[in-house]
Amino acid sequence: MTKHDPNLAEGIHPGAVMFADEHKRGLMDRREFLTRATALGVSIPAAYAMIGATPAKADAHMQQGGTVRMQMEVRALKDPRTFDWTQMSYVAAGWLEYLVEYNSDGSFRGMLLDSWETNDDATVYTLKVRPGVTWNNGDPFTAEHVAFNFARWAEADAEGNSMAARVTSIVDPETNMAAEGAIEVVDDLTVRLNLLQPDITLIPGIADYPAHVIHPDQDPTDLLGQQLGTGPYLSESHEVGVKSVLVRNTDHDWWGYDAGWGAALDRIEYVDYGTDPSAWLAAAESEEVDAIYENVGEYVDIFDSIGWAKSEVVTGSTIVIRPNQQTEVNGMRPYEDKRVRQALVMACDNSVLLELGYAGQGVDAINCHVGPVHPEFDDTAERLPYDPARALELLQEAGMADFEHELFSIDDDWRRNTTDAVAAQLRDAGIPVKRTILPGSTFWNDWTKYPFSSTNWNHRPLGTQVLGLAYKSGVAWNEFGWSNAEFDALLAEANAIADADTRREVMGKIERIVIEEGVTIQPYWRSLFRHYREGVVGIDMHIAYLPQMYKWGLAA
Amino acid sequence: MGLFILRRVGVMLLTALCLTFIVFLLTNLEPNLEKLAKNQANNRMSDEQVVTWLDSRGYLDPMPIKYARWLGLAPAFTREEGGEVVFSRCATPGVDPADAPSFCGVLQGSWGFSTVFKADVLAILAERGWQTAKLMFFVMLVMVPGALILGVLAGMKEGSKLDRSLSTVSIATTATPEYVSGVIFIAVFASSAVGLRWFKGTATSAMENITFENFTLPVLTIALYGMGYIARMTRASMTEVMTAQYIRTARLKGVAFKTIVLRHALRNALIAPFTVIMLQFPWLLNGVVIVETLFNYKGFGWTLVQAAGNNDIDLLLGVSIISVVVVLVTQLISDIGYVFLNPRIRMA
Repeated sequence: MTKHDPNLAEGIHPGAVMFADEHKRGLMDRREFLTRATALGVSIPAAYAMIGATPAKADAHMQQGGTVRMQMEVRALKDPRTFDWTQMSYVAAGWLEYLVEYNSDGSFRGMLLDSWETNDDATVYTLKVRPGVTWNNGDPFTAEHVAFNFARWAEADAEGNSMAARVTSIVDPETNMAAEGAIEVVDDLTVRLNLLQPDITLIPGIADYPAHVIHPDQDPTDLLGQQLGTGPYLSESHEVGVKSVLVRNTDHDWWGYDAGWGAALDRIEYVDYGTDPSAWLAAAESEEVDAIYENVGEYVDIFDSIGWAKSEVVTGSTIVIRPNQQTEVNGMRPYEDKRVRQALVMACDNSVLLELGYAGQGVDAINCHVGPVHPEFDDTAERLPYDPARALELLQEAGMADFEHELFSIDDDWRRNTTDAVAAQLRDAGIPVKRTILPGSTFWNDWTKYPFSSTNWNHRPLGTQVLGLAYKSGVAWNEFGWSNAEFDALLAEANAIADADTRREVMGKIERIVIEEGVTIQPYWRSLFRHYREGVVGIDMHIAYLPQMYKWGLAA
Repeated sequence: MGLFILRRVGVMLLTALCLTFIVFLLTNLEPNLEKLAKNQANNRMSDEQVVTWLDSRGYLDPMPIKYARWLGLAPAFTREEGGEVVFSRCATPGVDPADAPSFCGVLQGSWGFSTVFKADVLAILAERGWQTAKLMFFVMLVMVPGALILGVLAGMKEGSKLDRSLSTVSIATTATPEYVSGVIFIAVFASSAVGLRWFKGTATSAMENITFENFTLPVLTIALYGMGYIARMTRASMTEVMTAQYIRTARLKGVAFKTIVLRHALRNALIAPFTVIMLQFPWLLNGVVIVETLFNYKGFGWTLVQAAGNNDIDLLLGVSIISVVVVLVTQLISDIGYVFLNPRIRMA
């Protein structure tokens, strides 16, 4: 592994130097600084050094070897670029690694990439491949493999390929494939990406969970049959819905051992206990598992009470309870009128929704789907005031006071509870509401088309990312039925600004449009929790559920 | 007797055919196919993508053709691109679609491929069925002797204190459904809330290694529910027998009460419960759904829930075949057993 030059003046992106300065002057907090600086290609130690801090190190008293058993849903594997559940990655990441890892403190660190550089307007990325990495069949890992994977991700027509949306800046809209000359192999260890338009989300995009790097010889539909990878583990068995076991690949010299990246465990077992938290509790009390994948709701307190350790992380994961502006109900579009949408937002007190819906485990939000965890968040924007009386007036003005809203949600714990709380607050304000709860298996059939419903959204590193996925006009996941030319233009503008401070000015405008238009009730940001028994180390909950099993171990 | 069994087998085949066709119809309804596509490819994909996905896998072909394919009477769906077969329903992962056989239905011994579990349906049913068989074995081991003892003791002297108290127990256990008793058992015997951590509140580890700790609660939960019912049947049958002429004659002759019960009454009293016990098998197959889900024991019932929840067509069809077979085979055994237990039928 190459060490970064401790002489900070050289080889550091000028933007990062500027951010460090701002951090020192108190204009930017540490998380924000780390997210921005590392996204520009500065290594984590160097970034910390720039602001005169030391990275928080995990407990070093970890023993080599041992087994960790985790409660987790075991799902069938498929082509990694089509993964739609992070649980799939918790298995595949045993041997299929990422180019870049994203950490809960907001920083990015090279994995199969040693480092990367971005030009000033974020249109050219130079990626340096980590030297000395080998595949478990003996092949050296080279720039060709990186290029192969980028080309694969760029295949926008491939069914279910969600990576295409993350690398749109290299996709030719004519062919729906990687654009000519966009991916350039400079030498064995260097790849240059020439983007079609400026894109600051590229590095965050390829650090996301479906971005597993695969070997060109790998049949992506038969991951378990071939298991060609660079990582430290192999799958021993994988029984969908029952159990999946990873064991350390002793025949393979993993690059991370020399680099001090861990992979201390000999064996990782995932046991499926279904989706009911009471079953997870039974498993914990029966001492059949050492950790649970994720804890929710009242079970957070219960697991505390049985003496398990808790890991908490505040995230950009959230819920939206949104009207769809396009959907027709009885031949009319009830949510086309801005006053109706504003009334719905104004009738809800977000802190009450957090308390009733998610047991207070998070922080309040302001209905614009950009928040404090995002580097470009403009905290001067304010939500529409909580004013149930005014809400009813607005509905009367719109002639919609007697309209009975039908509010849909999935049947689970927190999403159902939060939606129930919205319905209750609307009724308190004098607005008639009918609640419809659908089982998970049918809910997703029409999730974008319900007139008024709730959906959960996962954390993304940058504020512009979810906006681009779900709020832009005409995109597949636009469940709001919202289309606003001014918003689209501002978003495109924001996506071209590498400097987050300048971007914040644009973001402030975006936030105010989303709030003013009453696009959605986005009441709170969730904290995510994981519980584990004493003696397991490094198994902290990840802000974006990323599989970082090489960090896990047992206390010595 | 041979003809009787043959006729039964014929009925069984016909029933299986009708039932699977109904299951096939329901699972192939449009919303169910959409659910399948979204489960398989991507939860959040668009309507056009759903149609392409379904079409390129043969799900949108006419119903009779699809059913005939499943039976193995019609060649399986294949997709060609540029003269080459690029997709075949008969190709299991790792097999080149061009080399796959053209027929792969039940008649060819292939029960299809599960979309949820990504494995051969027969293999899944064998593995999961084996897990449920283990559970059923222990349930029967506890339930049948327990119920018979309860019923016989209660039925010896109708209206006695013993009868009253045992009858109350049987009615109470039968009146408590599994999802109530199971939850109570877990709360009392397995959670730290009460503190009696005698057993485990989950049976997941029992799939590999059955211990007293991890198997007691699920077995008890099912056994108690069925036990009261069989005990009541046995009691009714027993009280009836105890008032029969030949018992009275025996008593008048001065035969000891114990001998009367064991030698003369028992055999006749067991005829009715035998049928009921046989009826328990198909019923158990459904009853295990709740207990297997509650205790996370991955058996037949759990498989049924997973298959239904994900609209796994081939697996659901396989489950229905197994259910039909179990129902009809146990009824066959019950009919034959009845003949042996009841001399009046044997003579006729």
